[in-house]
Amino acid sequence: MKKKGTGIGCMWYGIGNTGLPNPAAAFVEVHSDGSVTALVGCADIGQGSSTVMAQIVAETLGVKYEAVNVTAADTGVTPEGGATSASRQTYISGNACCEAAKVAKKILVEVAADAFGVEQDEVEIKNNNVFVKNDESKQMDFLTLMGELKKRGKIALGSGSFNPDTTSLDPVDMHGNPYACYAFATHIVEVEVDTDTGQVDVLKIVAAHDVGQAINAQMVEAQIEGGCAMGIGFAVLEELELEKGAIKNPGFSKYLINTAMDMPEIYPIIVEDPTSTGPFGAKGVGEPALIPVAPAILNAIYDAIGVRFTEVPVTPRKIIEALSEKQN
Amino acid sequence: MGNFNIIGKSVEKKDSLSKVLGTAQFAADIEFENMLYGAVKRSEVPSAILKNVDVSKAKALPGVVSVLTYKDITGGNRIGIIIKDEPVLVDDNIRRIGDALAIVAAETKEIAEEALKLIEVEYEELEPILSIEDALKEESRKVHGKTNVLQEKHLIKGDVDEAFKECDIIVENTYKTNYVAHMFIEPEAGVAKYENGIMSVWCSTQNPHFDRGEVARTLNMPQNKVRVIQAVTGGGFGGKLDISVQCHIALLSYYTGRPVKIVTNREDSMKVSSKRHPIEMKVKTGAKKDGTILAYEAKLTSDTGAYASYGPAVVARAMTHISGPYRIPNVRIDATFVYTNNPMAGAYRGFGVPQAAIAHEGQMDALAEKIGMSPIEIRLKNALRVGDCTPTNQKLNDSIGIVETIEKAVEKSKEVIFNEGEVK
Amino acid sequence: MSKVKISFNLNYEDIVVEVESNKRLLDMLREDLNMKSVKEGCGEGECGACTVIVDGITVTSCTVLAPQVDGCSVITLEGLSKDGELDKLQESFMEAGAVQCGFCTPGMILSAKALFMKNPKPSKDEIKRAMSGNLCRCTGYKKIVEAVEIARDK
Repeated sequence: MKKKGTGIGCMWYGIGNTGLPNPAAAFVEVHSDGSVTALVGCADIGQGSSTVMAQIVAETLGVKYEAVNVTAADTGVTPEGGATSASRQTYISGNACCEAAKVAKKILVEVAADAFGVEQDEVEIKNNNVFVKNDESKQMDFLTLMGELKKRGKIALGSGSFNPDTTSLDPVDMHGNPYACYAFATHIVEVEVDTDTGQVDVLKIVAAHDVGQAINAQMVEAQIEGGCAMGIGFAVLEELELEKGAIKNPGFSKYLINTAMDMPEIYPIIVEDPTSTGPFGAKGVGEPALIPVAPAILNAIYDAIGVRFTEVPVTPRKIIEALSEKQN
Repeated sequence: MGNFNIIGKSVEKKDSLSKVLGTAQFAADIEFENMLYGAVKRSEVPSAILKNVDVSKAKALPGVVSVLTYKDITGGNRIGIIIKDEPVLVDDNIRRIGDALAIVAAETKEIAEEALKLIEVEYEELEPILSIEDALKEESRKVHGKTNVLQEKHLIKGDVDEAFKECDIIVENTYKTNYVAHMFIEPEAGVAKYENGIMSVWCSTQNPHFDRGEVARTLNMPQNKVRVIQAVTGGGFGGKLDISVQCHIALLSYYTGRPVKIVTNREDSMKVSSKRHPIEMKVKTGAKKDGTILAYEAKLTSDTGAYASYGPAVVARAMTHISGPYRIPNVRIDATFVYTNNPMAGAYRGFGVPQAAIAHEGQMDALAEKIGMSPIEIRLKNALRVGDCTPTNQKLNDSIGIVETIEKAVEKSKEVIFNEGEVK
Repeated sequence: MSKVKISFNLNYEDIVVEVESNKRLLDMLREDLNMKSVKEGCGEGECGACTVIVDGITVTSCTVLAPQVDGCSVITLEGLSKDGELDKLQESFMEAGAVQCGFCTPGMILSAKALFMKNPKPSKDEIKRAMSGNLCRCTGYKKIVEAVEIARDK
């Protein structure tokens, strides 16, 4: 018989390393043709951090996204970025990029103000246009501005670094501020349990994530969807077999992961409760995406068949065993 | 929400064009003139005293250019992100299956593999430590140093013992998780090239700056003479935070003066890379009849395997998160993580929090049922809000979106999951 | 090792190569013909990263010997874009955000391409089934399936 159930799982996740300094840095340079190079230590492993850094630099400088090229994770040319881990790079390297871009922009604004003959706070740079607020007659394109820099012997270069505001934890009771900000999430899932075979099918996942501010909405969704796949594997599929210190199933043929056929409908929801310390309010989402999945599935299995599992993975064998135990 | 031009927009990913064209250069795709291929001789037993590694026959195989053991390491032979306890090449004891014993560079990858078979390893097998119980016995052999305890820590807020006396409902459960493998689709790979006094290393990695430091120490070179360049990396999920091929290819290139590539096969990748920590969590939650949680107690034990890797980070994070996103005035968390001769556990997407969440969310539902509240209601009642304090007594000042995520998820679920009128 | 001469069509061009008789198709494509889009993820035909199209059918090139493609037509990802113009699948993978680490991407696109060769208007379920031999650890497959749907509807 097939039985459906629903379950909820919530989570919180501190962004960055626990109670330890974990800084990152960046350089930003605007070139004479108006294009921009950002040198960032942060390693992009496919999640899209270089895209995020380019968006942050472009927004801060007031140039187009396409104008920014990111060179990342090359110790010969990029400053320290720390690990791509702890869901920290958007928040920490993102802040470093924002700082570096602000320093470079200050030089652009100084020169523009001088060229326009106005105060610096009257100058605005947006979408590759340089203009004076409330005076439409005074504007120039980016190339002209870069020409003005050249005349004055100025280089629009900025560096920035950021270390989250944390404290070390007390060795006796672990009190302190381990993280500068926290991400939050709630998943609600629907499962169908086949009581004859023990198979658990995850049918739907609603996944709401407070990311502070999404820098790239599509990439946030992509993190959530990928996390759901991994979370389902953690809950009901992936079983590493260990015997006398040896992994008995070291390959995809015996250590199964989800395929396209196994995936449920996923409904990602982006919640934006910005943090005052993040770049444009952003926190992180990479790890949070995974965390609520398994608990929500376990709670849904309970709703479906009345057995509360406290161990993962809940394989078909364990479902069958638990159901027969329940009957007896 | 700000009025942004670019922030929030789903602009095209910077790396997507090269990846759909197939031109993105992963480490295994990098080629140099005159390049050698490396391979690693690994232990097949979990625990032994290493007596001797005889590489003479391997060296004599035509096409083999270099075979190295720990004796060839000019700098430090211990690596690790938090505790430097893992050898680049074993010099005293074998501590797990998959420990690196010797490395080979040859003209082709087939010759390199063939040479591995000619390396003669002499060792005295020891009874391995394979469980937490065995690790903690006083008379047990120590995997490292003087104790098998990697870390024992306590988090204490308020007075749980007193608080449990005030509770109307108490729920106790023991939760257990298993090892999980990262299974990134690209196995670890890298190329090293030693030229003009600069060691360049291209590799699949999540942390090139850490890699630089480890390569520099292994070779006894200054960090500014080591350049680590992240190749396009085929997934990581925490599994590419530890050193994999970096030090081995750098050593081989240093000794041969030629570029050296190592591409790990899937089986070695899975045996050697870190795993998600299996954690046992004994948890007790106490609440008033109205659902207000007063006390939370958890005891965590875990097997970190042969090397610390990110183990200490997992301990700290699991402890600070295991009470969940809830306001709880009295909390006590105890954790013990031990060394064994099992596979190394380390960083894996979430650092112990995916395990911890299974415990705190299982407890919430069990508690809700016992009280007769809905799972959603009990979470909303206890969810953290601005101004609340965490178990480490950190005051939360802004950006506490847990309530909003619950509300939004429920709203959407009414549309796509829940039957009409049914809110669980 | 003994070498054999084989002739086949690679990415719409007839070629003749001499290759070791026990060499895997994967290794010939990567090492001898520089088709670096063909990736090795497992070496046992399980992950699909080394997928290529042989005579219209997807094949894991790690489980096939090079001489077996003698007389066949082989398509790798390098054969999809012509003169800088992208195949509609390449475009749709970018548009849908279906690319993360990118290691599974060549195999994914080729599996979809082979599906279209047989069935230009596949349903969502048919797409999922056709892609189920290609493992992805990053995306959860949702945007990959969406990308194939976008290309189908173009």
